[in-house]
Amino acid sequence: MTTQKQALGDREVLRYRKRPRIVHAILASSFLILLLTGLVILWPALSFLAPGGTTRWLHRVAAVGFMSVPIVYLIADREGAKELMVDSFKYDRDDWRWIKRFWSYAFGHTANMPKQGRLNAGQKMHHALVMLLSAAIVASGLALWFFTPSLGATGHAWAVVIHDLSMLALTLLLVGHLYFTFVYKALSGMTRGYVDKDEARLEHAKWLEELEQEAAEGAAEEDKQTV
Amino acid sequence: MSQYAFLLDLGRCIGCQACVASCKVGNELGEGQQYIELIEKTHGEFPNLTGGWDNHRCFHCGDAACVTVCPTGALFKEDGLTRLDRDICSGCSYCTEACPYDIPVMWEGKSSKCDGCAETVRAGGTPWCVGTCPSMALEYGPREEIRAEAHRRAEALRGRYPNAQVYGETQAGGLGLLVVMPDDPELLDIPIDPKVPFMADAWQKVVQPASVGITIGAAVVAGAAAVIARRRHEEELEVLEAEGVISGHADGGEEEEGQ
Amino acid sequence: MARVKLDITRRAFLKGGLATGGLAAIAPTASIGAVNGMLNAKDPWYREGAIETTYNVCDVCPWRCGVVVKTVNGVVRKIDGNPKDPKSRGMLCARGQGGVSFMYDPDRLQAPMIRTGERGSGQFKEVTWEEALDYTAAALLNVKDKYGEEALAVFGHTSGDHWFADHFAQAWGTPNAAKPSASLCLSPRDEAATLTYGSAVGGHEPVDWDGIAAMTLIGSHIGEDARNTVMQDFANAQARGAKVIVLDPRFSSVAAKADYWLPIKPGTDTALMLAWMNVLITEDLYDKAYVATWTEGFDQLAAHVAEFTPDWAAGITDLPAAQIRETAQVMAANLPRAAVIPGRHTVWYGNDSQRMRATYLVNTLLGAYGREGGMYFNKSVYLEHYPYPPYTVTGSSGGCSAEPGEEAAELPLGPTGKARADGVREVFMRGPTAMQELIDPMVSGDPYPIKSLMVYGVNLLNSIPNPQKTIEALKALEFVVAIDVLPQEHIAWADVVLPEATYLERYDDLWTVPHKTPYIALREPAVDPLYDTKPGWWISRELGTRVGLDAFYKWETIEEYLDKRLISVGSSIEKLKAEGGVITQDGKPYLEDFDGSSPFHTETGKINLYSPELAEAGHDPMPVYEPVDEPPTGFFRLLYGRSPVHTFAKTQNTPVLYEIDPENEVWVNAGACEELGVADGDYVMLENQDGARSGPVKVKATERIRHDAVYMVHGFGQNAPGLTNANGKGASDTKLQTRYKLDPISGGAGMRVNFVRLDKEGV
Repeated sequence: MTTQKQALGDREVLRYRKRPRIVHAILASSFLILLLTGLVILWPALSFLAPGGTTRWLHRVAAVGFMSVPIVYLIADREGAKELMVDSFKYDRDDWRWIKRFWSYAFGHTANMPKQGRLNAGQKMHHALVMLLSAAIVASGLALWFFTPSLGATGHAWAVVIHDLSMLALTLLLVGHLYFTFVYKALSGMTRGYVDKDEARLEHAKWLEELEQEAAEGAAEEDKQTV
Repeated sequence: MSQYAFLLDLGRCIGCQACVASCKVGNELGEGQQYIELIEKTHGEFPNLTGGWDNHRCFHCGDAACVTVCPTGALFKEDGLTRLDRDICSGCSYCTEACPYDIPVMWEGKSSKCDGCAETVRAGGTPWCVGTCPSMALEYGPREEIRAEAHRRAEALRGRYPNAQVYGETQAGGLGLLVVMPDDPELLDIPIDPKVPFMADAWQKVVQPASVGITIGAAVVAGAAAVIARRRHEEELEVLEAEGVISGHADGGEEEEGQ
Repeated sequence: MARVKLDITRRAFLKGGLATGGLAAIAPTASIGAVNGMLNAKDPWYREGAIETTYNVCDVCPWRCGVVVKTVNGVVRKIDGNPKDPKSRGMLCARGQGGVSFMYDPDRLQAPMIRTGERGSGQFKEVTWEEALDYTAAALLNVKDKYGEEALAVFGHTSGDHWFADHFAQAWGTPNAAKPSASLCLSPRDEAATLTYGSAVGGHEPVDWDGIAAMTLIGSHIGEDARNTVMQDFANAQARGAKVIVLDPRFSSVAAKADYWLPIKPGTDTALMLAWMNVLITEDLYDKAYVATWTEGFDQLAAHVAEFTPDWAAGITDLPAAQIRETAQVMAANLPRAAVIPGRHTVWYGNDSQRMRATYLVNTLLGAYGREGGMYFNKSVYLEHYPYPPYTVTGSSGGCSAEPGEEAAELPLGPTGKARADGVREVFMRGPTAMQELIDPMVSGDPYPIKSLMVYGVNLLNSIPNPQKTIEALKALEFVVAIDVLPQEHIAWADVVLPEATYLERYDDLWTVPHKTPYIALREPAVDPLYDTKPGWWISRELGTRVGLDAFYKWETIEEYLDKRLISVGSSIEKLKAEGGVITQDGKPYLEDFDGSSPFHTETGKINLYSPELAEAGHDPMPVYEPVDEPPTGFFRLLYGRSPVHTFAKTQNTPVLYEIDPENEVWVNAGACEELGVADGDYVMLENQDGARSGPVKVKATERIRHDAVYMVHGFGQNAPGLTNANGKGASDTKLQTRYKLDPISGGAGMRVNFVRLDKEGV
């Protein structure tokens, strides 16, 4: 027995390592800045903050941060990035049954939910939508930033609508994201990397079982070697 | 509420820029700021030439694209004119993209364009450009009177220019600037019949208000629901702990030693 | 020419700020908008406080529209036309609107200065008015003692010029007083007119616009040459259906509105006029009754023009013969409501008096003079002069504000017996003092030395052709005093600089206009002079009283002077203000107003189709076509003109006007550009036939000009580091006018005789 923090402990299990957490931090902070600076343009009540150019400059700096996320992720945690992208588009029978019972889970009930892997179906859908909507928002944002002369009035209006609706959807996804984080006490997963093992058992049983099996196989190997 | 309009008679305008200067001084415009631009037009090859001046200024569209895309309401319609309150302008520059006549420009971070001299008129004066024009190519007054005058002038102008016409009665929802043109608008590189893009209209009417409303609404609803859902989940956890399904250490239960 | 900076040692007391014109103490800003921004940014100026209204006569260009000036809290905010004024009629051009910006130009001269470094180095120290005036008086008297009164040349322009070029010069005793508006502008026009029908055309061209039915403009580019009243009248005439014929190598703004644009070859207008006379006479289209009653020499003229057929002219002018014939017929079809507009700046090729004679002969055949819709007669204002003792010498400075006058039998002589030194009656026949002819005496001393120069409001190095010679003259003079508002290019070459207050900050003599409805207009100050500047009348008096001319400055105050004059018409400053700033008198515009007597002040009382005076003086008594030099291969003739937003070389620095029109362009035929490999928007240097260069200047590749000429707006390319906006912008036509052709009749300096090529190197 060691005093070091273990990936699979008695009370907690390591869910997110350092590198994915940093990528998430970049994503979250740039997104929030983009949301707030974007609202200054969208919401008349906030428009008094815009003149002077700081808002515009901040929006563009944060946009660069936002656009860099996939690149940084691929550099810092290639395996994790690829796993996330593939996972988010692979749904098995448990996932579909889980989706049918989504509202139950939304209101705090984990019992009677089908067993889920590392990502539950909701998280998979969240990631998939975030990726698609981010592509749309980046494309329309770049059009507004660099290509307005060639857009014309109609093209400009389209770019603005796509940009704003994408942001609306992403913001609603953010609201959902914060909701589930709060309901299922998952914040520590991103701040320290560890989540409560009970919660993991209830919500990501297949993942926890996999980890326990790996740990058992690892211990057996250790035993073999110490003999 | 009366509708006012400007008359611009391009049959008379000789491009002297008195209007540009009077506007700059009367409106106390800043360095490099101009509401009116005189653009030379030339057609043909020497010596078979025709040409003239496009006295280019805000057309005060009835159906103004700039008003439609303005997120803050800095651009708005009043008495038939398209006005701009620079104090409200957020500098987003959507108006510069939307205008079919290429009128608003960004100056010192905010939109800049003719405000119809609304304040000047309110104070008892005449719009600065109108009062000074030595060719008497500019008028200002109730829209019906301006319309009638425009037709009178176009009629008279047909003696020299058979295709002389009034531009602005129907374009863009009826313009607050009625232009007597010696010929078709295309010869002045002016759009024949600009329309506000549907998407811009949809954005102003649906997307903008809905986005703000839905986001706030969702945050409020989600906030309330989250409190309820969390409580339910914690109740569930207690039950599951009692049933022994989970070990339950959140409330300081005994730690298991070893395996 | 070496660039000189103005390096001024400021007086100590100025740093403490000024009581009046408090804006002077604030850091200079580039535009009137920024100036206004210092005041309450929320309220528009007309809501900031009570609006004070004063009357004035605009001085931004020499047309002198009556204006109404609005001042709030001691700051001039807006200038508009005076509805009562017969020139502005309530409207105002861009230059007039720019008057506010002109007054608040941060580059203005602020205090009297005396040179500290070498002349031309631009090194000055600020001094008190006392010191500057005493110094100037002593210097003037010193030159007088050595060389006589006639050794002083006085150059003047803008509306205060009569205090110097007329009053002071005549009181002092120098006949060498000149205004650029004479030999650098109007002289051929007015001398030809006097020779033909007995009086000069006059400052306010007497075109009867209200009734005109057909007009011809020879190079007159109305709308670019933006005289307020003319633009109004033209627009109304055309709206009424008047036919417009334009002769111009360039498709100008007004050419684009014309019924006929004749892209005439430069220098051939006289040939065209002769062909028109031929058509009018041979086709029997001229006003027979009028010619029979009012002219002398018709038979000679008819014989003279018999050979000048449209076909003959076609080859010369590069125009179709049919078009020449047709346009003559259009003019004739509308007579007597038809006229060739006399224009203003007529010094083109050195044969200009004859070209103007041809113009007047056409107008005479059309029966225009004294007829409705033709050319009316200006009547002088009745207003007595202030009672002065007789002047020491009678002046002949002429100019656009001059009253029509008589040519003296003997040239007036100064106190030491010298007549004016410009070569009148030797190298040219008659007319006002020719400014450009006074430069050589400053250098060569021939016919006698001119050793001192007083220059008021003339942009010397951007007006007189061959500025390289003017620099030589400035170096050779013993004393130069410059009175001006801005640090124009020549200021660096003065010994003493006296800063004048602008027209908005001062009274001035009453503005009187010979006109269809002669009138008197008031100039009163809107605010006190900014900085340490003074009105011209004050400077003139202070100098005059220091050089022994007290007798000519008996009035105590300017108001006293003005009231004394106004009494002669039963008015006063107060009454004039109460009447809206303008008093109008009855005119005598038409033949019938003369009750059968002749309005033509010629010997015979008739219009001289054939000029006996010209014959006597050895000139052609009737115009002939004289070919001008062709451009050498690879060169273009340099033509120049006006921007509607600028006046000569005066306003290029004025912030509002500078922002609208910051630099000139050289108009080059698009095809010619292609051949040269020059693109629209490229910057090039212009080099003339003598190697003089100016630029860089932007190329405007256009279909709107002939292949053999280039065109640019005059007044740019200034070399004046004190002018923040204007310095170095565009190219200077003056610096490329190293040659001019002297008109042997009027002394006018024909300046369109220079040729340039485009050079992409050295930009």
